Amino acid sequence: MMAPFHFRPRVPLAWRILTYDKRRTGLALIGIFMAILLVFVELGFFYAVPRGGLLLYDNMRFDLLLASNEYEYQAQPGAFPLGQLGPVRSSPDVEEATPIYFGFAKWKSGEGGMWPDVFVIGFDPESHVFIPDSINRQTGVLGRADTVLVDTATRPMFGPLDTGRVVEIGDRKVTIGGQYVLGTGFMGLGVVVASAANFSRLYPQRGLDIVNLAAIQLKPGVDPDHAAEDLRKAVGPDLQVFTRKALEAHETAYWTTRTSVGIIFGSGLLISFVVGIMIVYQIVSTQVSRQLPQFATLKAIGYPDRSLAGTVSTMSLLIVIAGFVPALGAATGLYSVIRQETLLPVAMSEMRLLAVFAAAVAMALISALLSIGSLRRAAPADVF
Amino acid sequence: MLAGIARPGSVPLAWRNLVSNKSRLLRSAGGIGFAVLLMLMQLGFEQAFFESALAVIRGLDGDILLQSAHKYQFATRDPFPRADLEKARDVAGVASARALYADWFDFFWKNPIDGKIFLVRAFGFDPAAPVFSYADVNAERDKLKEPNTVLVDRRARRFLGMDSAATEAELNGTKVKIVGGFALGPDFQSDGTVIMSDRTFASLLHGPAGDPAAVDLGVIKVRDGNDPAAVQQSLRKALPGTIAVFTKPELIEFERNFQAAVSSAGPIFAMGTIVGFVVGMLISYQVTYTDLSDQLPQYATLKAMGYRTGYLLRVVFEQAAFNALAGWVPALLLSLLLYYVIGRLALLPLHMSAHVTLVSLGLTLGMCLISAAIAVRRVITADPAEVF
Repeated sequence: MMAPFHFRPRVPLAWRILTYDKRRTGLALIGIFMAILLVFVELGFFYAVPRGGLLLYDNMRFDLLLASNEYEYQAQPGAFPLGQLGPVRSSPDVEEATPIYFGFAKWKSGEGGMWPDVFVIGFDPESHVFIPDSINRQTGVLGRADTVLVDTATRPMFGPLDTGRVVEIGDRKVTIGGQYVLGTGFMGLGVVVASAANFSRLYPQRGLDIVNLAAIQLKPGVDPDHAAEDLRKAVGPDLQVFTRKALEAHETAYWTTRTSVGIIFGSGLLISFVVGIMIVYQIVSTQVSRQLPQFATLKAIGYPDRSLAGTVSTMSLLIVIAGFVPALGAATGLYSVIRQETLLPVAMSEMRLLAVFAAAVAMALISALLSIGSLRRAAPADVF
Repeated sequence: MLAGIARPGSVPLAWRNLVSNKSRLLRSAGGIGFAVLLMLMQLGFEQAFFESALAVIRGLDGDILLQSAHKYQFATRDPFPRADLEKARDVAGVASARALYADWFDFFWKNPIDGKIFLVRAFGFDPAAPVFSYADVNAERDKLKEPNTVLVDRRARRFLGMDSAATEAELNGTKVKIVGGFALGPDFQSDGTVIMSDRTFASLLHGPAGDPAAVDLGVIKVRDGNDPAAVQQSLRKALPGTIAVFTKPELIEFERNFQAAVSSAGPIFAMGTIVGFVVGMLISYQVTYTDLSDQLPQYATLKAMGYRTGYLLRVVFEQAAFNALAGWVPALLLSLLLYYVIGRLALLPLHMSAHVTLVSLGLTLGMCLISAAIAVRRVITADPAEVF
């Protein structure tokens, strides 16, 4: 029987029932507030993980990204010979193609004699391929021999990150030339950026002929999708060309389907949704059973089931909406705490806001539907 | 027995209150149960995170483990000279000192089904000197004596194709024969694992990384009757300061501390657990408060009949504890099912442990009793004269 769910708002009555017992309604609000907050948090984590995986790309300037066909995700990018950039650079669509080098090395100057692994990014500082101002302001520093910039999010186990400190990376003494702000994402516990020349000094056997990625800037007005199509033909099957949109989809799919992230936060999301339903249901059905004689009276004087169902649904919706607003505020605050605590880029987005609001409305309607069952039993003759 | 009936405690009032309204009981058990389920899932995930990170260390068949003093976490290659392991063998009380070769960054596995290439975790050991306590690895270790043969993790992530019936695959571009399998499962760093002989390990790693004179972990067994702590002391004296000497429980603790310090898993799952607790408290407050309001005349009557407040309090708390259990038991049962399903899907070591059982029970009782304590003030102040 879904018929009673033919929704007609009954705001005045629902409002009066809710405000009649302020204490109880207050509690209900706290409960629904927590449930919605939890939905926000789980959803935040769910999206933060792929966002963390995209952190580097979000901070890079490119229209297309060139990678080996063995590219899996940012931390396992594969590699290709520098020579394969030739046809890309000669394409009429391409303004610039900047090779990017990735490497891991032992940071032999950690706290307590530890040698944590550091992620090293090599690039041409003049290319300005990275967006953060803190990198671009220090291109001069990057030009110095055996000098690197270190990410401010590098963990304390790497020891002090002071400018001028000489550390040993791999088998080489390197000076920390300064810091930059980007974040370590899932690149590692510590990240440094270096000029290509300094990168090759850190990895003398590798040199600069093996590249991990190339950031492609297109000429103004060139459509990335078309350019990608043409470049794919030009570079052959050994390389892949990603548009930004394709890259984001690829990385997100990696994190949500290849790792346990999707299922962990997905199941958390589902359970918090059910918990939200249980709370609203608890509140509304208690109200219904407490007001059962009144509801029965309404029925007796001729109000149809449908109208009473409308009142119950309106009660659920009012509670949920009243809980949603503070939950949104608290979630925004909590996101910033999570950002600091976990270094995950959790942020509020319009999409998420709407999604959670839709989930909250769904919670309200489902719990109303559950409560209406007992309402239908409100036979005037039984109650009195 | 008759005397017993006269005693107020013998009437299971809390129990009768609880079961007098079945649909209300169902509702409260549902509400509290889902809050508990939320806590159980979060606690389970947290445990699974640490368990998966510690699984390999637990699977090592040794009392004492040697590694480079610079090695900050298990899942990183930081080898030490084999000569130091030889030295350890001569220390009094050492029954055996065996080498484990391990790598997390340099072994690329080609999925035998779709030909895609993935980074995997690789372990190597001398098949004549086993280092793992995994029965399936030890049963098949002799097959590893043939060059370029491997055992694969049947519980690896599925996209690696290690759970297939394939008998051949490629590692670092070399054809390898799959001669058996074991069930370890991925952790949050590696998707799958390949185990091979020390020789195959060295030959597949190109360059200096494949140097068989550099060992990643020394697995030491103590002679029967010797105290591991004493042998540990002797080993520390005999070995240079570049070697860290851990007992197995110490290395597990070292790794656990590392994971706790760098990963977000602790705070993420703690936050979920706290939210579950608060939500559960609110629901159970709602349940107790409603029940007390409904039963207020009855409580007042009992008071008027001369029952002490202490007795009434006990009834309320007993009832809260029953409510807690009525939510906890189904939640626990449901979580067993979810652990199983999610554990299979996500390849996580999600399983109910005494720790999770007790912590969740404690939290559930805590949230119900705290909320009962807040709600019970009504009963204490219930004035028989006012209620009627």
